[in-house]
Amino acid sequence: MATATLERKPSKLSPGFLAWLAFIGLCLLIGLVAAIQVFTRGLVITNMSDLVPWGLWITVDLSSIALGAGAFTLSAVVYLFGIKRFQPIVRLAVFVGFIGYTSALLTLVMDIGRPDRFWHPWVYWNVHSVLWEITWCITIYLTIMLVEFAPVVFESRFFNRWPWLRTIAHVAHSLAPALAILGLMISLLHQSSLGATYGIVKSRPIWFKPSMPIMFILSAVAVGPALTMSVAFIAEWITGKRTVPHDILRIISRFSGLGLLVYAYIKFWDLAAVTYYGRTPAVSQALTMLSDQTPYNFGFWFGEIIIGILIPVAVFLLPNYNKKPLNLVFGTVCAMIGVIVNRWNITVSGLFVPVSYSPGTMYHLPPGQYFPSLVEWAVVLGIIGYGLLMLTLGIRFLPLFSEAKQQGRG
Amino acid sequence: MKNKKTKIKVELSRRDFLTVAATAAGSVVAAQALTTGPLSPFSNLKQSQLEGVESSAANAKHIPRWGMVIDLDRCIGCEYCLRACSATNDVDPQRTWNIVVPEKTSNGRSFFFSRPCLHCQEAPCVEVCPVKATYHREDGLVVMDYERCIGCRYCEVACPYDVRVFNWQDRPEGNPFIPTWGIAEVERRPRGVVEKCTFCIHRIDAGLKKGLTPGVDRDATPACVNICPVGARTFGNLNDPDSPVSQLLAQTATIRLREELGTEPNVYYIPPKEGL
Repeated sequence: MATATLERKPSKLSPGFLAWLAFIGLCLLIGLVAAIQVFTRGLVITNMSDLVPWGLWITVDLSSIALGAGAFTLSAVVYLFGIKRFQPIVRLAVFVGFIGYTSALLTLVMDIGRPDRFWHPWVYWNVHSVLWEITWCITIYLTIMLVEFAPVVFESRFFNRWPWLRTIAHVAHSLAPALAILGLMISLLHQSSLGATYGIVKSRPIWFKPSMPIMFILSAVAVGPALTMSVAFIAEWITGKRTVPHDILRIISRFSGLGLLVYAYIKFWDLAAVTYYGRTPAVSQALTMLSDQTPYNFGFWFGEIIIGILIPVAVFLLPNYNKKPLNLVFGTVCAMIGVIVNRWNITVSGLFVPVSYSPGTMYHLPPGQYFPSLVEWAVVLGIIGYGLLMLTLGIRFLPLFSEAKQQGRG
Repeated sequence: MKNKKTKIKVELSRRDFLTVAATAAGSVVAAQALTTGPLSPFSNLKQSQLEGVESSAANAKHIPRWGMVIDLDRCIGCEYCLRACSATNDVDPQRTWNIVVPEKTSNGRSFFFSRPCLHCQEAPCVEVCPVKATYHREDGLVVMDYERCIGCRYCEVACPYDVRVFNWQDRPEGNPFIPTWGIAEVERRPRGVVEKCTFCIHRIDAGLKKGLTPGVDRDATPACVNICPVGARTFGNLNDPDSPVSQLLAQTATIRLREELGTEPNVYYIPPKEGL
């Protein structure tokens, strides 16, 4: 990194940028300290328990993978559907996707009890397990993104001294359409399997439904591209250079708005089926318990529906609002909050409802209780720091927006 | 007409033929893999249900299926099973593999309910494990490879019977149930893996090698069954019609927990006489 900085113009570090770097450094430091605590003392310092074995970290995993969905969606738009107009945003989309997926993997390594065995799913196969399939898909897709993105990295001046890298990069670049198709298939599979992770657990009444995978993938396809769009706007504000043509960004926002509408439609029928047409005693009991004892309903109606769907749909689709970039970024933040609240509500609420198996009438496991501990928040802060650091470095040092120019020069 | 036909035939013969043949062969392989091969969603079903029917008669005594019957009327809630299990398997006394809890029938009559792992034949934990750290042995037991478990806790989330226990931390302290209720016969599990009841496989396996019959000879029988002062638990080979457990099942009406989930547990309960 130091070399790359030296090769550029000598220090262009404004005080604001330094403060930003200091903030990122602080996040990373806090995260690192927390991670060391977890690795040395074990998961006992989290607030997870045998009743609620998954918590904040799984929520972060699911959310960051969903938010990385812009990569495969926009790649497919360009390479599969042949809409070349969107070419200028593909690099950024893949970059944001890469950050999302690596963040998820980092969190996962924190979350499993034996991080030293993270490689086991690659060696010991259980083809019946959704989690095995997800691990494989994420690995393969991460590789695809690396190959897709390699040309961008090798284009930077730092790599001028190794011309053969550039040759490899160009081969990789010519593979882009094939990679996009493969990436689309793999992504469709694992983005929905993440929902299936919950949907197949038949002992958990509020999880066990076939709509789970569909809602997961729809929300990811809707919100992922919006995040890419917002990053493009923010990068433009910071660097002061036009990044991606604004009409393209506005089309993406409209796409996200429509995607959220489709998501809302499926969600509506899911709600109708679960609470009305297909209501079972177990589901009714679970929902009553959740609404009496937890902010489940508030999270659902306020977090998921109003903040996560209605506001972004209005901002993305109404012509009065979707002209201003600031509004679009605001809408994206709302949609992101919606996705995160949704993943939290599903994970944690599903586990709050205790399983019941005794043949008698009296014995019930106590309802689960969970709120993330300080260490869990600190790790998440570290992960956010990682994401911001990658974005900052990428925008500063990588030719994310200037494919045509770079190719002309090189 | 005739000429044209031959011509078409000739044109088809090389490249197209190869393409068609390759596609056909590929489809056959794929279909094979997806229907009867390892990728089939039904491969579990086939093994246990289709082949099982044929082989169970022939191999009745050769391939056992271990099961347990728990008599809810006999259980007095003394928790001896829980303690003997904790000592024998060196389980954390705070979070034991067996549980014993007071219960009530719908008429309000009290009884005690105890629960080991049910060793389901269609076990959700086995299905979800991403690394096959939890698997079915040939004798139907659901056991764990503690060397392989990555500690993702999906099995804990998926188990309908709350059987599984995760090692959130190292457990350096001693076990208060040792030696009063038995001595540790297996190693304590390390931090970061999930653990569960094994029906004392170490006793079953060692006993079979010595020619003992699990469920009859005490040395080959799970600790919880041996210790029970009222004989509420009966253990043995469900594939052997002469075993005590099969005899009991044949004579008595039994239930299984959450039958509607289709997990096919190998643990049966004799409900209280007046009903649940």
